[in-house]
Amino acid sequence: MQTSFDIAIIGAGPAGMSAAITAAETGASVVVLDDKPKAGGQIYRNVADSPLQDPNLLGEDYLQGKALLERFENSPVERIQGATVWHLGDNGEVLFSKDQQTCSLTARELMLSCGAMERPFPIPGWHLPGVMSAGSAQVMLKSDALVMDGAIFAGTGPLLYLIVAQYLRLGVKVKALVDTTSKSGYIQAASHFGGALSGLPMIQKGLTLLAEIKRAGVPVYRFAESLSVQGEEKVTALQFNCGKQQHLLETEHLFLHQGVIPNLNMTRSLGLEHRWCEQQLCWKPDLNEWGQSSIDSISVAGDCSGIVGADGSQMMGKMVALNQLYRLGLIDREQRDQQAVSSRKQLSRLNSFRRFIDTLYRPIDQHRIPSQADTVICRCEEQNLEQLQQGFAQGARGPNELKGLTRCGMGPCQGRQCGHTVSELLAQWRGERVEEVGYYRLRSPMRLLNLTELSRFNRISAANPPEKKVLAGERR
Amino acid sequence: MRSDVLIIGGGIQGCATAYQLALRGVSVTVLEKDWVSRHASGVNAGGVRLLGRHLSEVELSKASMALWPDLDDELDADTGFSCRSLINIAADETDMEILHGRQQQMHQRGLHHEVIIDQKELRERLPHVADFCVGGVVSETDGYAIPYKTTLAFRNAAARQGARFVEGVTATGIRKVGDSWLVSSEDAEFEGEYLINCAGAWADKIAVMIGDNVPLSYSAPMLMITTRMPHFATPVVGAVSRPLSFKQFENGTVLIGGGAKGFADRDANRTRLDYAKLAGGAKNAIDFFPIMKSASINRMWAGLEAYMPDNLPVIGKAVNADKAFHVFGFSAHGFQMGPIVGQVMADLVTEGSSSFDLQAFRIDRFERKVL
Ligand SMILES: Cc1cc2nc3c(=O)[nH]c(=O)nc-3n(C[C@H](O)[C@H](O)[C@H](O)COP(=O)(O)OP(=O)(O)OC[C@H]3O[C@@H](n4cnc5c(N)ncnc54)[C@H](O)[C@@H]3O)c2cc1C
Ligand SMILES: Cc1cc2nc3c(=O)[nH]c(=O)nc-3n(C[C@H](O)[C@H](O)[C@H](O)COP(=O)(O)OP(=O)(O)OC[C@H]3O[C@@H](n4cnc5c(N)ncnc54)[C@H](O)[C@@H]3O)c2cc1C
Repeated sequence: MQTSFDIAIIGAGPAGMSAAITAAETGASVVVLDDKPKAGGQIYRNVADSPLQDPNLLGEDYLQGKALLERFENSPVERIQGATVWHLGDNGEVLFSKDQQTCSLTARELMLSCGAMERPFPIPGWHLPGVMSAGSAQVMLKSDALVMDGAIFAGTGPLLYLIVAQYLRLGVKVKALVDTTSKSGYIQAASHFGGALSGLPMIQKGLTLLAEIKRAGVPVYRFAESLSVQGEEKVTALQFNCGKQQHLLETEHLFLHQGVIPNLNMTRSLGLEHRWCEQQLCWKPDLNEWGQSSIDSISVAGDCSGIVGADGSQMMGKMVALNQLYRLGLIDREQRDQQAVSSRKQLSRLNSFRRFIDTLYRPIDQHRIPSQADTVICRCEEQNLEQLQQGFAQGARGPNELKGLTRCGMGPCQGRQCGHTVSELLAQWRGERVEEVGYYRLRSPMRLLNLTELSRFNRISAANPPEKKVLAGERR
Repeated sequence: MRSDVLIIGGGIQGCATAYQLALRGVSVTVLEKDWVSRHASGVNAGGVRLLGRHLSEVELSKASMALWPDLDDELDADTGFSCRSLINIAADETDMEILHGRQQQMHQRGLHHEVIIDQKELRERLPHVADFCVGGVVSETDGYAIPYKTTLAFRNAAARQGARFVEGVTATGIRKVGDSWLVSSEDAEFEGEYLINCAGAWADKIAVMIGDNVPLSYSAPMLMITTRMPHFATPVVGAVSRPLSFKQFENGTVLIGGGAKGFADRDANRTRLDYAKLAGGAKNAIDFFPIMKSASINRMWAGLEAYMPDNLPVIGKAVNADKAFHVFGFSAHGFQMGPIVGQVMADLVTEGSSSFDLQAFRIDRFERKVL
C-alpha cells in the first residue's frame, strides 16, 4: 500500500466523502480512513445495504445519501474502511489500527471530518442501565434493525423527533415523548425567524415530524423540566415537571437526547486552538473561513468543526478540499475561489437556519449543569457532583487539575461524556467564562488501543510520491 | 514581600522542602511557572522504589522509604501509597548472575533489603509471569503512590503551615544584592534570604543564574495505562536487564513504563511520543505477561524529566554563591525521594548541614573530571 499522500481525510461521512470527491477530481492523491465497515458516516449509515425491509421508512434525507455514496465509491481515492485512527501528528503522521495491526502513513494535508456526538444529558440517574441515547436507538435501527418496544424518548432537538418518527413508521410502540424544549427557546427563536425564513422547507420538516408523532397517538409532554431518572439497579421510571405538575412515567427503556456537539477528541489531542461557542454551547476548533486550524496543514470540516448538519458538512467538505488543493499548488487562487462560490452561499444560508435551530432547541441549564450532589458526571470513573466539588475545594481550579485529583475524565471515553459538563461547572464555581476555564488536555490514543495491536507496529517506509503536475509552483 | 526562603519550582522537591521549612517556622515562597505538580511530579509512574538504587543513593532512599507509610497521617491527605513489594524479574541465567554480583556488594555494606528469589517463588508471587523467567529479586517495602495527589498533599500541608505558593510565575532573572536574593519575573520581584533551585528539567538555567554550571540534560520518559483488567499482579514489576516496568492499581488499571523516551521540547513545555518505542514496550509487556495480550491502552503520555550524566541527582549547596541550594536532576527516580529530600533541605537551611553523606550529589562533581 502507498504510505504517503497529498491529503489524508479522517471520517467518511458527508464532509469526508464530498471532500474526497472534490480533491480526487483534481488529481490529488487522497486517502480516506473511516472506522466503520462501510462509508456513509452517522446519517447515511448502511444506506446502500440497509438491514431493514423497507429503508424508505427512514425518510427521504437518508436515501439521498445513496447518490453521494456512489460518487464517493467511484472516485479514484484510496478508501480504508475499518481503520480506527488513534494518533495524528502535527507533522502529518497518521497512525491507525486495522486488522489487529498498527499502520502508519503520512500526508501533506490532513482533513478531520470525524463528525459529532450526542450531547451528554447529566441528570440524576442518567447512568442507570436501560437509559440510552436516542442516537444509539437510531444506530441500532440502521445497522442491526433492532428496536425497543414501549420506550420513552426525552429531550429536545430535531433528531429526537426524527428518531421517534422513524420508530413509529416501523410500527414500534413509543410510550411517550417528553419534550424539554423551553418556552424561552420558542420566544428567542421567534426573534430570529427572519433568518430562518430562507430555510423554511426545513422548518416545515420539523413541524411535520411533530405532527406525525401526535397523530400516531403518542402522549407528548411539552416544556418538561427537572428530569430525573428513577431506579436502583436499572431505570424504572422517569420523573419530570411540566409547569407545576409533577409526572412519573414508568418504563424500562429511556432514550435521552439534547442535540449534538462536535467530536473533539481528535482536534483536542492534536492541541489545536479551540474556543467556546455560546450559540451552540460547545467547544469548537478555531478555524479560518476555509476550515484551516491553528496548524496550517490541518483542516477541519463537517460537524466536528461545529454543528453544521449533513448538508452543511457536505458544502464544507468541498470548500476545505478546494483550499487544500490550492495549498498543494494543484489549483490556483481564482479556481479555488470560483469553485467555492456556490457552496459558500449555501452554507451561509444554512447558517442562519442553524442559528434558529440552536436557539429554539437550546438545552436548558439544569440539564447541562447538574446541581444534585449525587448526580454522576464522569461515568467511567463514577465521579459525582459532590466529589468534584470536593476536588475544587481542595484547590483544583482547572479541568486538568480536577482530573488529576478526582480521576474525572480519565476513563476510556477520554472525557467525551464529562468534558463539557466539567468546563461549565468550573466556570460556574469560579464565576468566570467557560473560555477561561478551558478543557482537558488530551493525548493519543484517541480511541482505546489493544496492546497486541500496538505491539505489531509497522513503520512502513514511505513510497515514492506519485508524479503530478504542480500548477502554481510554490506550496502555500 | 520578603521571605526567609525562596524556592523556584513547585514539583515534589519544591513542595516537600517548603513543607519541612514551614514546619520549622521558616517563611517560604514557592514560585511555579505553570501550576504545582504540572510536570514530572504530577505525571510520573508513581513508583516508590528502593530496589536497585545506586549504592550512593541507598541511604537516602531507605530513609525516604521509612517515611512513606506514615505520609498520609503526617500530611493529613490521601497520597494513595500502597506497599506492594517490587520484583525485578530475571529473564535468564545472565540476569541471575548480575543479581548475585549486586547482592555481594550490598551484603558487604550491611544492606539486606534486597532478596533474591528462585523461579518457584517468582511464580508464587506472580502467577501470570511467562515460563521463561528464571527468578528475580524482591524488596518488600516498595510500592506505589499517586503522584499528583502526593505532590498536592505536600503543597497543601505546606500552605497550612503558612508557606506561600505563587503559580503562573516564571523566574526569569536572579540577582544577589547584599543579603538578599532578588528573583524577578515578567511583572514582579520576590525577595528572600535563601534561594533553593527545585526547577526540575529547567534547573540548569536557574543554576547558571545563581552562578553554577551543570551538565544537565532532559528527556521525556513515556508511560501508558490500560483500562481496568482482572486482577493479576499484586507486586510492582520490573526486570533486571529489560525495559519492562508495570504496576496494577487497586482499580485494575495497569500502568506500563520501562524507560522508553519520547521527544522533549522544554521551551514549549511539550513532549512528543515515540510510538515505535512504545510498541516495543507493549511487546515486552506481553512477552513477560501473556495475559496482557488483550489489554486496552487508554492513555499514553510523557513527562519532562531532568537527567544527570551519572543518573544521580544534585542535592546540596551552591558552589559559587552563599545561601543558595540545588535540588534537581533526579533522572527518572526522584518521586520516591521527595519526602526525605524535604528534610535534608530544611536541615541544610536551618542547621547548615545534613546527617547524610551528600558528596555524590555535589553540583560540581563533574568539573574535576573535565580536561
Ligand atoms: C448519533 C447521531 C445520529 C444522527 N442522525 C442523524 C439523522 O438521522 N439525520 C440527520 O440529518 N442528521 C443526523 N445526525 C447529524 C449528522 O450526523 C451530521 O449532521 C452529519 O452526519 C455530519 O457529517 P460529518 O461528515 O461531519 O460526520 P459523520 O457523518 O458523523 O462522519 C464521521 C465519520 O468519521 C468516523 N470516525 C470518527 N472518528 C474516527 C476515528 N478516530 N477513526 C476513523 N474514523 C472515525 C465516524 O465513524 C463516521 O463514519 C446524527 C448525529 C449523531 C451524533
Ligand atoms: C514519565 C515519568 C515517570 C517517572 N516515574 C517515576 C517513578 O516511578 N518513581 C520515581 O521515584 N520517580 C519517577 N519519575 C521521576 C520523578 O517524577 C522526578 O524525579 C520528580 O518528580 C522530580 O521532581 P522535581 O520537583 O525535581 O521536578 P518537577 O516536578 O519537574 O518540578 C519542577 C518545577 O519547576 C518549575 N520551574 C522550572 N523553571 C521555573 C522557573 N524559571 N520559574 C518558576 N518555576 C519553574 C517547573 O514548571 C516544574 O513544575 C518519573 C518521571 C517521569 C517524567
